[in-house]
Amino acid sequence: MSGPQVVHVTKLVLDVLKPHQPSILEMSKLLGELDGVKSVNTVLREVDADTETVVLSIDGPELDYEEVLDIIEQCSASVHSMDEVSVQSVETGEPY
Amino acid sequence: MAPWDAFRGRIVQFRNYVRITEADEIARRYFVMNAFDGSLTMLGIILGTYLARVQDSKIVIGAGIGASLAMGMSGFFGTYMTERAERTRKLKKLERAMVTNLDETVWDNASSFVSIWAAVVDGLSPALAAIIAVLPFVMSSFGTIDFNTAFITSLVLIAFTLFFLGAYLGKISEENIPINGVRMLLVGALTGFFVWLISGLGGETAVALVF
Repeated sequence: MSGPQVVHVTKLVLDVLKPHQPSILEMSKLLGELDGVKSVNTVLREVDADTETVVLSIDGPELDYEEVLDIIEQCSASVHSMDEVSVQSVETGEPY
Repeated sequence: MAPWDAFRGRIVQFRNYVRITEADEIARRYFVMNAFDGSLTMLGIILGTYLARVQDSKIVIGAGIGASLAMGMSGFFGTYMTERAERTRKLKKLERAMVTNLDETVWDNASSFVSIWAAVVDGLSPALAAIIAVLPFVMSSFGTIDFNTAFITSLVLIAFTLFFLGAYLGKISEENIPINGVRMLLVGALTGFFVWLISGLGGETAVALVF
């Protein structure tokens, strides 16, 4: 019989609308500094006079969506949709 | 976090705000324009009082401080209100484009900070230029130098200030630095000439000539 399990979010793909500043480089670096984040990939999809749409892919052993959202909002950006989520169920004490 | 680290963190944050809002360009403009205003205003006051045969440093200091305070206040409040209006307009435009409220975001904080920062630059720059020009008269009021020496020294300091401002513009525009410095100096000389001409003629004659 398996032990108690906990679910970790390991991947998020978000469609984000943001102003030109802060740049995607700055926003990605801020996200990369979060605990539980291993890598951040940001792709520019659309640009207009005031804003740009980016696809944000965040990977890591244990992502905290609230912290990710906080960073995105601090950068004056907004999440338009959550396009992909991966979770992993781990038994308590089991290494990732 | 050590106090020094916190201070450095703040500086980095403020520089980010300036970069996000592209306010460095505006601040440069305010600095040069208003320091130029301050210098030429003081040139007018100093030449005018000298030609009116004023020999009391305290009168020049009083007029100079009054002028620099007025220019500083006008610069600070005028710029603060103008920049705040422009930044609010830009923020609202961005909110409409983003279809979201941007309160407490980096853009909101940057807009607030930059309005104050631009106002401080605009308020301090003419006041600083005026204080530089009035310093020799302060020394004269303490008896360190006589009034005429203070007058000449003040003119030299104003000339240096104008040259520095012109040279700074030359550096920004990547043009010839000394030539831009001399250009600004010539504007100051021209202003001084007209002040000398009109004040030297005496008030009544000047009014008669103009009207």
